[in-house]
Amino acid sequence: MKISLNVLLAGALLLGCNKSKNDESKDGSDKKLLIGATMLSMQNEFIVNVADEMEAKAKELNVELITVDAERSALKQVEQVESFIAQGVDAIIMNPCEVEASSPAVKLAMDAKIPIINVNSETSAKPTAFVGSDDTESARIAMKYIAEKLGGKGNILMMHGFMGQAAQLKRDNGAKEILKANPGLKLFAEQTGEWDRAKAMSLTENWIQSYGNQINAIFAQNDEMGMGAVKALEAAGLKNKVLVVSVDAIPDALQAVKKGSLDATVFQNAKEQGSKAIETAVKAAKKEAFDKEVLIPFQLVTKENVGEFLK
Amino acid sequence: MEIRVNPPYNSLTRYGIFFAFLLICIVLAFSTPRFFTVSNLMIIGTQVSINALLAFGVTFVIITGGIDLSLGSMVAVTGVVAAMFAHPDTYPLAVPILAGLGAGLVLGGFNGLVITKSKVPPFIVTLGTMTIGRGLALILSKGRPISNLSDSFNFIGGGNILGIPFPIIILVLAFAVCAVILNKTILGRYMYAVGGNEPAARASGIHVTKVKMWVYTICGLLSALGGILLTSRITTGQPNAGAGFELDAIAAAIIGGTSTSGGTGTMTGTLIGALLIGVISNSLDLLNVTSYYQQVVMGVIIIGAVVLDSAGKKGRE
Repeated sequence: MKISLNVLLAGALLLGCNKSKNDESKDGSDKKLLIGATMLSMQNEFIVNVADEMEAKAKELNVELITVDAERSALKQVEQVESFIAQGVDAIIMNPCEVEASSPAVKLAMDAKIPIINVNSETSAKPTAFVGSDDTESARIAMKYIAEKLGGKGNILMMHGFMGQAAQLKRDNGAKEILKANPGLKLFAEQTGEWDRAKAMSLTENWIQSYGNQINAIFAQNDEMGMGAVKALEAAGLKNKVLVVSVDAIPDALQAVKKGSLDATVFQNAKEQGSKAIETAVKAAKKEAFDKEVLIPFQLVTKENVGEFLK
Repeated sequence: MEIRVNPPYNSLTRYGIFFAFLLICIVLAFSTPRFFTVSNLMIIGTQVSINALLAFGVTFVIITGGIDLSLGSMVAVTGVVAAMFAHPDTYPLAVPILAGLGAGLVLGGFNGLVITKSKVPPFIVTLGTMTIGRGLALILSKGRPISNLSDSFNFIGGGNILGIPFPIIILVLAFAVCAVILNKTILGRYMYAVGGNEPAARASGIHVTKVKMWVYTICGLLSALGGILLTSRITTGQPNAGAGFELDAIAAAIIGGTSTSGGTGTMTGTLIGALLIGVISNSLDLLNVTSYYQQVVMGVIIIGAVVLDSAGKKGRE
């Protein structure tokens, strides 16, 4: 029922578009814009937050938004974009599954002359616009904090996300940049925790067995893993000796920062990414001026400023 | 056709895997001094506990000739359900535990009911339940982890009694109960009979439907116990937790000598299988070996165990 309604609506919009070619001033003013969005995974808290904000912003701007879940499959994502094109949406928002494998979707949309906005992560093909944050920066911020707290000297363990994903590669690069600039910091070991709390906890327990009192800091590439590391360190009675910093500022991590168990996290603004994505999509669909790259800055969250982020 | 009512005694696989496990432990003890310490052994026990609980459950199922692919999803659902009732100052500790176990009972019972009533292969039914369960976990949690759980709930996975981590205590108790069910009860004997030769078991008056209902329900309950333990250990109910757990659990059972054709298997074997998997991943972390290699090693061990199993069978014939 919903699909047929959308098809009707899309058909109506297509008619509207044809008309507006002759009469550009009327474009968008009398017909509701239709935006299709395909998200990496609706099982991921951060992505769900972005999607929720997109929904809210769409309502506010009175545009219709269809959100679909690519379930981490780039193939599925490309197919979803194909069906958006077939439905004749006015703009597409894509939260890419993969850098390379999701690129064909960008090309398809560009060929169909439908604006496509990448949100949160990138594809190698250049979209109409990109809204998100630079992951390299988040790791730089986290590692700089560690360097500062340790006075530029100490032993560090790093926990990676899924190997080969854009976020993992960029956070790795950012962290290593800072490590290079601080020769006193020694990377003792690095291993993947697959973004997962339970896996990170086991890994940290095993690390404690290996390195025990020699560990000065752990950098986890996301909060889930950071929380796992904190749990393991607390259980071993080592938390007050080891600095733990991670990235994302999920609610759980903010609570932990407030309590003082997690030393710092880096806030990636899901709300801002969601609302800017919709704004940009609407502007692009209405052929108004828009920024081709909207970079939303990261912010370091420590015990001192955590109050601003807890609502 | 003879009906086997006693657990078959498969000495080669049984002792083979035990010696393999011992050998690996000795090699590890020499390669890293940190392996054979009390604290590390406690950690291995804790890390193994969840997989072992699931493996016990799936051992029952595999012995009757079935399979359960929904373990990981049941872990997620039961963990989320428990977390929903585990916020501080809301309900007494018994409520989240019973709610989680109840969810496991329902899901496991559902598997059993559909499998026995529809005669659709367990592989397909539980594949469906796997997807349904994942969806339910996401619906119940609205796609977000459920955090802020009470200290008493978090004790289950994080606390210890007299220095022994609580998950290990649960593991030992669950092992004892499962071993008794399998070896000392009529139900256990019927499980072997159903898996060994189902038509013969039916002909000899065994209520096959009832046995299967029991098996899948027990499996659901053990998954729930695993889900509660996991939720408590990571202090959040995560809808995407437990993905792929079913494969580790099945691997533990198979490494431990449970035959996928049914009728063979022991709880001790499964426990050793789970310990072997845990020891390998722990020691490769200690030695700072990339996790990619762990997967290759694990695959080789699974195949090796099955080869050993079939060699043992030929030897008996």
